[in-house]
Amino acid sequence: MNTVLMLFKKDTYRFLSDKPALLLTFILPAVLILIFGEIFSGNGGQQSRIPIIFVNESSSPAAKIIEEKLDSSKALKPVKSIKTSDKNKTIFFNEKTAKDYVEKGKFSTAVILPKNFISDSSAALNIKVYYDPKDEIEYSLIMGNIQKIIYSTIPSVFPALLQNKWQKEIGPAQAKKFKTSMAKTVNYFFGVPADSIEKYMDLSYISQSHSLNADSAASNFFSELLNFQSTQVVGKEISNPGATRMVGGWAIMFLLFSIVSASISLFEEKQQGTLKRLLTMPVSRNQIIWSKYLYTTVLGVIQLAVMFIFAWAVFNVDIFSNFINLFLMIIASTLAAVSFGMLITSFTKSLSQANGIATILILIMSAIGGSWFPVFLLPEWMQTISKTTITYWSVDGFLQVLWRHSDLSGILINLVVLLGIAGAVNAVALYRFKKTDILT
Amino acid sequence: MENILSLKNIKKNYGEIAALKGVSLDIERGSFLGILGPNGAGKTTLMNIIIGLIAPDEGEILLENSPVIHRSNDVIQKFGYVPQEIALYEELSAIKNLEIFGGLYGLKGKALRSRISEVLELVGLYERKKDAVKTFSGGMKRRFNIACSILHSPEIILCDEPTVGIDPQSRNAIFDMLQRMHKAEGKTIIYTTHYMEEAERLCDKLEIIDNGKIIAEGTLAELINLLAKKQSIKILKESRAISVKKELSSLGTLNELEFHFELIPGTEYSKLHQLFPKLESLGISEDNIEISRATLEDVFLNLTGRRLRD
Ligand SMILES: Nc1ncnc2c1ncn2[C@@H]1O[C@H](COP(=O)(O)OP(=O)(O)OP(=O)(O)O)[C@@H](O)[C@H]1O
Ligand SMILES: [Mg+2]
Repeated sequence: MNTVLMLFKKDTYRFLSDKPALLLTFILPAVLILIFGEIFSGNGGQQSRIPIIFVNESSSPAAKIIEEKLDSSKALKPVKSIKTSDKNKTIFFNEKTAKDYVEKGKFSTAVILPKNFISDSSAALNIKVYYDPKDEIEYSLIMGNIQKIIYSTIPSVFPALLQNKWQKEIGPAQAKKFKTSMAKTVNYFFGVPADSIEKYMDLSYISQSHSLNADSAASNFFSELLNFQSTQVVGKEISNPGATRMVGGWAIMFLLFSIVSASISLFEEKQQGTLKRLLTMPVSRNQIIWSKYLYTTVLGVIQLAVMFIFAWAVFNVDIFSNFINLFLMIIASTLAAVSFGMLITSFTKSLSQANGIATILILIMSAIGGSWFPVFLLPEWMQTISKTTITYWSVDGFLQVLWRHSDLSGILINLVVLLGIAGAVNAVALYRFKKTDILT
Repeated sequence: MENILSLKNIKKNYGEIAALKGVSLDIERGSFLGILGPNGAGKTTLMNIIIGLIAPDEGEILLENSPVIHRSNDVIQKFGYVPQEIALYEELSAIKNLEIFGGLYGLKGKALRSRISEVLELVGLYERKKDAVKTFSGGMKRRFNIACSILHSPEIILCDEPTVGIDPQSRNAIFDMLQRMHKAEGKTIIYTTHYMEEAERLCDKLEIIDNGKIIAEGTLAELINLLAKKQSIKILKESRAISVKKELSSLGTLNELEFHFELIPGTEYSKLHQLFPKLESLGISEDNIEISRATLEDVFLNLTGRRLRD
């Protein structure tokens, strides 16, 4: 055991004197976590609004409301006029120029509320959108936001639309008759003055007046009909959702890289002859292998811990409230990564070969295992393959711990799978080490 | 003197290549044994087998008259192996290297520290102990490569071509160092080389190895005695010498080379005082004569028909 510790100390000294390795293990991951954390952290408030052209040609108060909501949107930035480049002239967009600018690729989307936004002849809202689908993610973001704004405006517009509809159906004379008798009936039962009821039911009143604000009776009624009550149930108290979701993925990718390079340092020692020298000393082959296991495991745990602490320090990712489970995930992920490093070492013949194969495998695992983007974006058959990667189970486990604040039962499957992978892969690697004797 | 180490009929094949074809040799305790042979002769293979890094296909090694048990701690502590290739943690300082290697040999604390200072003094690198090994010159690395192998005070030191590719100064430093350990500390040293000058200068006993076989062994004098000619006479090829070429060839064997004749005197002229008057009478000036003593190179040439170095 003393010998293993001595060899472990040796590897540690070597690591500490190796500036590039230090950089790759701690600094580079930190820098990348910093960059991607900035990109994905919604809390920063500096998230940029996507500019779209917005033209409001309608005089309807409902259109006005939509415009106001767009103006204050956090996601979209409505652009209504633009300075032309040649002359210092400001032009206000109309439908034609808006379409033009989208066509020329200056803007990705133009939203137009035309004069007949609320048409007298139908119960539908008319909206025109010109778009350039070059960036699908951006497009769906824009459309999602516009729809959200429109849906939340509908309750105030709906009564007018419905009146339009039924007045058209039964004709103005009949409608007038209906309103009068309706007002009388209400007056009879509730004592409210009939003329005010009649006025309230009048189309022009509804669509022109300021009663479109949320507390008007009609709008209340309709907003109950169309009540979007979306409640975020997970990740609500997460201080930094973007960074929290991302940190596990990047951490596991860098873990794999640094563990592989630590385990294939066996080849380096073989190359520089020190492995041979060790074998003329009171050091056995097994001790050399076990010291590598010890060293890579300790390195991996420290590296993961440092990355999470970094994410906590910079992005306020909450790593403490579920610390025990996070720690279990760190250990299990490291053990699985170590087995991967040893497998690579046991199946390759030289440093460059090991490096090449490991890099390819790690990049593939990171891509399909969820290090870079969520696995649900992948086609279904690929998602099945995802589940064979260490990355998938680690990233998923870290999400469970940091995002869902799962207890042990929530990550049990992740722990079991990761430790299972570690066990099985190590068995293969150790068998290879015994069989092929890579040490000499 | 008793044999500290005996090899009995060691054979080793690498696939088709027979690296060792039955090597037997005895090494006396406290001796300085040289193993001299050209590239690919099997020197490193032999060393690796002695130290236990590779197993022989056949044959037996006796350490102090009993079969060696290679992985036992006793045996490991007895041997110090200086590999042919420099084998050091170059990114670490000299002292860290020694701490690691010493630690692995079980040295610690004060004993380790004082032993580290001792070997650093011995190889003349004490002043550089804090520097990373990669900043050392080639000669310094070679010396340090030895230092790491003798840290645990082994009884038998195996040096595999420890002076390859270094300047004469470092080479002399290494010679001095090894001779000190041999003479003052009574260490047994096994030293491979393909430089005959080294073997002549350092070793009590020599083994000449070629093609996986020991082709001659003995002290330097014994090996020279194997030669018919212990010396040769070089005669400058000027006009007088050329004109008496026939008479010269009657004095022994005469080889004509580009610039001179090489005369290996016949038995009746084997003493110089018999030969010189003869040459004088043929009108060859003393200035045009050079006597060269036979060397290991000649021994090797005589035994194999090839030169040691190409
Ligand atoms: N690992 C190996 N695999 C195959 N052949 C080998 C191996 N090691 C040595 N040999 C062969 O065995 C023979 C002896 O090699 P060895 O290294 O013992 O020679 P050497 O005397 O040490 O030469 P040098 O002076 O160049 O160091 C050579 O023909 C070499 O090619
Ligand atoms: Mg050799």
